Amino acid sequence: MTESNMTCEAFDAALPDYLEGTLAEPMRAAVSKHLSECVRCTSLVRDLEKIQKEAAALPDLAPSRDLWQGIEARISAAVIPFATRPERRRRVVPAWMGIAAAALVVSTAGITYMLTARSFQSETPNKVALIVPGVTVTDSQPENGPQPGNGNEPVQTSQSTPGANGSNRAAAKSSLVAVRNPGVAANRQVQGALLAVAPINAEQRSERVYSREIDMLQGILTQRRTQLDSSTVSIIERNLQIIDAAIASSRAALAKDPASRLLSDQLTHALDKKVELLRTAALLPST
Amino acid sequence: MAAASNALRLEMGDSADVALAAAGDRQAFERLYRTHANRVYSICTRMSGSRVKGEELTQDVFVRTWEKLPQFRGESAFSTWLHRLAVNVVLNARKTEGKHDSRTEDSDVADDRRDEMSRAPLHIERMDLKEAISKLPDGARKVFVLHDIEGYKHEEIGQMMGITSGGSKAQLHRARLLLREALER
Repeated sequence: MTESNMTCEAFDAALPDYLEGTLAEPMRAAVSKHLSECVRCTSLVRDLEKIQKEAAALPDLAPSRDLWQGIEARISAAVIPFATRPERRRRVVPAWMGIAAAALVVSTAGITYMLTARSFQSETPNKVALIVPGVTVTDSQPENGPQPGNGNEPVQTSQSTPGANGSNRAAAKSSLVAVRNPGVAANRQVQGALLAVAPINAEQRSERVYSREIDMLQGILTQRRTQLDSSTVSIIERNLQIIDAAIASSRAALAKDPASRLLSDQLTHALDKKVELLRTAALLPST
Repeated sequence: MAAASNALRLEMGDSADVALAAAGDRQAFERLYRTHANRVYSICTRMSGSRVKGEELTQDVFVRTWEKLPQFRGESAFSTWLHRLAVNVVLNARKTEGKHDSRTEDSDVADDRRDEMSRAPLHIERMDLKEAISKLPDGARKVFVLHDIEGYKHEEIGQMMGITSGGSKAQLHRARLLLREALER
């Protein structure tokens, strides 16, 4: 194949550039010669040039409806620029309101302090709940004792906890009853092997009640020494000595400064720790 | 001479309205819309192959124009800038639109017409160029519209569509051949 004897396939390959007018001159002359000889390719070029011409002359189209309303709605959407946002007015609080608020705080704190100090000085019975393996003692009963027929009658725990452990648990219960309020029967229920100590309000403790509780628990611990692991007993006693030292120093300091609330709180805290440790030790399982 | 004068007057009128619209004057922007709506609609409809889609895209173009107008620096005629913006809006239209969504009113009409044509004598029903263009494959249609109708060069088309200028030429030639075939039936 030569340029002077172009085939239709070669013409087709050169056609896009021919129609674009970008065909180099030697090839353009060959295409022109081929067109003068080939009806098929002449018809093709004529049709494509017609399409090109008609496409360029196509009139503009018009939408079937006015689109402006939709456009206007979209560009009119309320957008408040940050710069034009109205600034929020700062609230001006009168000075007298601040003074009144401060006075209210001071008076409330003073009343609270006085009430707390009075309740601390009184010997309000302590409320304790203890759940021991097989025995639960709570102090939910009213002052006049359990009401018959309401399911809260005392349970004879000695039947369910025979032996030395049973007597120790009974003693533990008795100590708790003593702490709660002597003369008030406890509500007892046999339950699972969990030990839980209800939140203790340290500010309502009196040293006398603590002393009674501690004596009772220490008696139990003395009885159970042989049932417990010797190393455990040793650790308990060492910790008790530390707590006793803290109690002694707090008492000595409080004797010099009886009005010190800090020292009073420290003594209460140390007594709480001792009671907690003795309870735990009294209820430890036998080895 | 008269045409050139009209074009000059149009551009001068545009520049005043463009400035006003860029400053937020909606009435000036509406005047710009009235002046250019059909042209933009033609681009959108022919490139998308759908009248319905063309109307949606036309609205998108003018909303986009409103947003971008403050950035127009007058380096080209406003109409040139606007038409380029319209092309970009069409090209960036969601590609996730399925074939069912992109099936257009025109396409539906053309399909119905084709069914009729298959039953009717050839010389009675004949597809016109507008319909034939809407039936072209997407890529070939866009290149044909941009080149043969809108007058863009292959380099510009390649840049806008993310293809080479050679690819644009190939798509154009394919489109012309398909149109010839469709119009000969």
